[in-house]
Amino acid sequence: MSANVSINKVWKVISKQKAVIAIFAMMIFMIFPQTTFYTAYNWLDMLRSTAILEIVAFGVTVAVLCGGCDLSVGGTLCLGGILAVMIVNNGYPIWLAFVVALLSGAVVGFINGFLVVHQKTEPFIITLGMGMLLKGICQQLTDAHPITCTSLDFMQISNRKFFGSIPSLVVYMAILFVIFFCLLRFTSYGRNCYAIGGNYEVAKYSGIKVVPIKWSAFVISGVTATLAGVLLASRMNTGSSVYGDSTGMLVNCGCVIGGTSFAGGVGGVVESFIGLLVIQMLTNCMNQLGIDSYYQTLFEGILIVLIIAGDCYGRKLKRERV
Amino acid sequence: MENANDYILEVKDICKYFPGVKALDHVSLSVPRGVVYGIVGENGAGKSTLMKILSGVYEKDEGTVIFNGETIEHTTPIQALERGLSIIYQEFNLVNTMTVGENIFLGRFSLNHGMRGTHKKARELLDSIGSSINTNSLVGDLSASEMQMVEIAKALSFDSKLIIMDEPSSSLTSEELKKLGIIINQLRDRGVSVIYISHKLDEIFEYCNIVAIMRDGCVIDVKPVEELTRGEMIAKMVGRTIENEYPPRAHFVGEPLLEVKNLNTRKLHNISFTLHKGEILGLVGLVGAGRTEIIRAVYGADKVKGHETLLEGKPVRVSSPKQAKKAGMALVPEDRKREGLILPFSVQNNITLASLSDLTHHGVVDSSKEREIAERQIEALGIKTPSPDTKVVSLSGGNQQKCIVGRWMERDPKILIMDEPTRGIDVGAKYEIYVLMNKIVEEGGAIIMISSELPEVLNMSNRVLTICDGRITGEFNPEEASATEIMDKAIG
Amino acid sequence: MKKINANSALKLLQQNLVLCGILVLIVVTAIVEPKFLGAANLNNILRQLGPLPFAALGMTFVIIAGFIDLSNVGVISLVGVLTMGMISFLGQVGALIFGILLGALLGYLNGLILTKCGAMTQAEVLFITYGMSSVYTALALLYTKSETLRITSSTKPYTIFTTLGSVSIGIIPVSLIVFLIVLVIMHFFLTRTIWGRSISILGGNKDAAFLAGFNVEGTMRLAYTIEGIMAALASIMLFSRVTTATATSGSGYETNAILCVVVGGTTLKGGKGSVLRTMLGVVLITMLGNCMNMLNLSTYMQTIMRGAVLVIAIWLDNRKEL
Repeated sequence: MSANVSINKVWKVISKQKAVIAIFAMMIFMIFPQTTFYTAYNWLDMLRSTAILEIVAFGVTVAVLCGGCDLSVGGTLCLGGILAVMIVNNGYPIWLAFVVALLSGAVVGFINGFLVVHQKTEPFIITLGMGMLLKGICQQLTDAHPITCTSLDFMQISNRKFFGSIPSLVVYMAILFVIFFCLLRFTSYGRNCYAIGGNYEVAKYSGIKVVPIKWSAFVISGVTATLAGVLLASRMNTGSSVYGDSTGMLVNCGCVIGGTSFAGGVGGVVESFIGLLVIQMLTNCMNQLGIDSYYQTLFEGILIVLIIAGDCYGRKLKRERV
Repeated sequence: MENANDYILEVKDICKYFPGVKALDHVSLSVPRGVVYGIVGENGAGKSTLMKILSGVYEKDEGTVIFNGETIEHTTPIQALERGLSIIYQEFNLVNTMTVGENIFLGRFSLNHGMRGTHKKARELLDSIGSSINTNSLVGDLSASEMQMVEIAKALSFDSKLIIMDEPSSSLTSEELKKLGIIINQLRDRGVSVIYISHKLDEIFEYCNIVAIMRDGCVIDVKPVEELTRGEMIAKMVGRTIENEYPPRAHFVGEPLLEVKNLNTRKLHNISFTLHKGEILGLVGLVGAGRTEIIRAVYGADKVKGHETLLEGKPVRVSSPKQAKKAGMALVPEDRKREGLILPFSVQNNITLASLSDLTHHGVVDSSKEREIAERQIEALGIKTPSPDTKVVSLSGGNQQKCIVGRWMERDPKILIMDEPTRGIDVGAKYEIYVLMNKIVEEGGAIIMISSELPEVLNMSNRVLTICDGRITGEFNPEEASATEIMDKAIG
Repeated sequence: MKKINANSALKLLQQNLVLCGILVLIVVTAIVEPKFLGAANLNNILRQLGPLPFAALGMTFVIIAGFIDLSNVGVISLVGVLTMGMISFLGQVGALIFGILLGALLGYLNGLILTKCGAMTQAEVLFITYGMSSVYTALALLYTKSETLRITSSTKPYTIFTTLGSVSIGIIPVSLIVFLIVLVIMHFFLTRTIWGRSISILGGNKDAAFLAGFNVEGTMRLAYTIEGIMAALASIMLFSRVTTATATSGSGYETNAILCVVVGGTTLKGGKGSVLRTMLGVVLITMLGNCMNMLNLSTYMQTIMRGAVLVIAIWLDNRKEL
């Protein structure tokens, strides 16, 4: 009997912390083959590669916590980068590039918020459509050709190193992580987001201004996506409409893998960070082991299906308990 | 000192209408300060509607509410809270994914200068009612009684002068219930009034000072609790002023048709019963007693193992509604809109839903036969619809219900299970449903009926089982037993 | 009496706002550019129909059942490359049958995974089918090693495919004739057979269908199997026309198929809709693209337009009453 109870407890922990367990499993597995996995350089590289997606994920997390979902971030990211490069190339200062790019993200987020929160549409397909629309705008702006940035300063933003060896992208990610962590954990805005996602009606009856807060969550998601877009453009020194093709789905999947639930109210930036790290680490491990990139796509797909289907299955069991 | 200020809440002549129903009919109550005021009544007596009006979830149609000396025309839930009126619903108003402290100060996080202050204040509030719940634990992990403590602490955090508890004991163990009693006494000593709504008369006698009895949207009687006996109270709860019309009862009870043995789940304990041919078996119990769970298990809608089902003496396996349908069972569910009808579909499509597989020839649906069935049932049941192609959503409740009944009539079910068959239906349509039920049993079928309306059960069924806390607590012949006796067993 | 007529006309207009908008555009184009309605252009439009109608047709079934499917991208890609590869082994008829069976199998697999894990909400279905799509795409990549397969390099005859792809009878392309036959069959299937009706009923109200004795899970798998077969047909039409197949040839078909279904007026809420309406949606979307070509707008503008139409169509669909 008591053994049964403890097994249940262990199972509960496992089902909650799938992503952390996946990370540990990979780390243990990587001890055995002779690779450069366990080097500071590799870990920094891993963090740098995942930084852009992580930054997008921080914003998306806010929207998901409120019970929404934003699949348009791929297009938003793309748009932000292209706008920034175009502005810098035309000789305007870099700060202006940031302002305009972030504003464009705010506008996209505002429209998403209007459709999802104010008009109460299901967020999934409509933000997917929004992503498609933005993609078209990006192609139109660039004529579907990558545009190279002519400013060295702009390129420096994402390509310099701090403290000798730490890539700047990792530092930006860390700063944003702290900001979002504090926003969600310590401010009443953040706590209200959790309340709205956790139980919309109760939040409404408790006097929380549900519509403006949830609406603003979409704006935040749009703004961080464009910020990530600018950083990506700086990193690649190009603005291109091909960036961000799978970002929307990948980032939202990453959030869920980490434990941020689409039902809303559960999770946070830590969970999203871990969720995306799982995906990145899987790629990194497979690179280290010299696995074909096609197999990598395959394993990535299988991982997504397994974790999300596992989530569903847990809910199914709960539903059927009488 | 005899003035209006002795009353924390005065309600005068409140009326509330829902489409086709008068939910509250000139209800007047006066709740003094520092008392525990009990409200009792059957399911659907209007208690919850009254509470929802007080809390601002519903708007009242007529009447006045005076709270704490102030006349209140319009209120929202948050305004009601801020004025000092808290309601603790049966379904707790808590965010399961957040901590205890956060729930107590939901939407008011800035009030206490950050999270630490919030938890500290929450701790004080919980201590003041003698609860030791950790303010950092998630509400979703708490037991029902702990959630109730959180709700009470939340109410106190608003400096509430009146706390309304809707069925507070329904999810508590007897140990927890004692604790709740102590807290209610503490609240009264602080000068906080409590309105205690319950079916359970023992609790009413133990905690309350004054009792109001409601029935059919009216307040029947208000008395100090000492002046009432249990028997009187039950008699007042069940006695009807408006009697529905019932057709004469059918009397052709034959041999056993369906036997269910040893049905056990987390909620149900040792349920065994027999249904005979030509019988209407009434299941009586309070909401949440396990009535719907029993029939869902029998019908195979919930996955339940271990029980035995005998149909005409032969064991059958019913593990899905599909198999139940094959065995000759039919279910008219409780929630018409959610589980019964396909709202965007036409009347015809809703009627032919269950017999669709019989109308097919090599998989192709015979549409002329389909039409025929729809028209036959529309005529047989007197469904008032402009045409079989009308959307079912535009029909009245009674006609919608008839569509579901008609769906099963086409298959001549041996056993018809009806969960609240006349809920939300006007009197005339009710009578027609009753006639239909009699017709089914006269043709050799049998009906299991769940109903919260006691007179309906008394007048329609041949036998009544009372269910309480997942157990069958009594069996009655409704022609001999009185409403009071049955209610007594159902309340437990 | 007249007033009622005006009211119902207004209602009809409101219910079909997207349709009307596109019709207006077509009329305007016809006036501005008289060549638009010329025989040459009509022939051109008919040719352009190609694979999209099949993809949209399959999507219609899944959407009517109340779900959504993003995996047809992967199914189209995988079926395309494998079928083309099989021509040399199985001959053209064998390859054709193989392709359709493979589509059915992949669709069934989607349905099986979804029912086994109990995915019921749009979010769950969306992400699992997305994951399945990347699995299928990865398999296609593994098969082709990202090379482009050419039908002309098959060692056995492949005339069926080239006929499907490029031969016309009169002005009507063979592929269109095949489509019309499939359309009639599927319309009959949806409206007249018990299986088709079960799919609509499932979309109308899952709980009611379950309690009325329907096999909910089986019906769900059926809808996805049909979707798989239709995606396979779309794939065959696609490579027959372009005579090449790559591991990414299916990309974009998921959103375009959803677009056609929604524009046709089938609601994303499930339960209602018809394949004929989807056909209308396909024609309108294809004509929309053609209009924009005639008006000399870039292909990127078309992507923008499609995205915008999708967003607006879902928004308006959400505002519709039952």
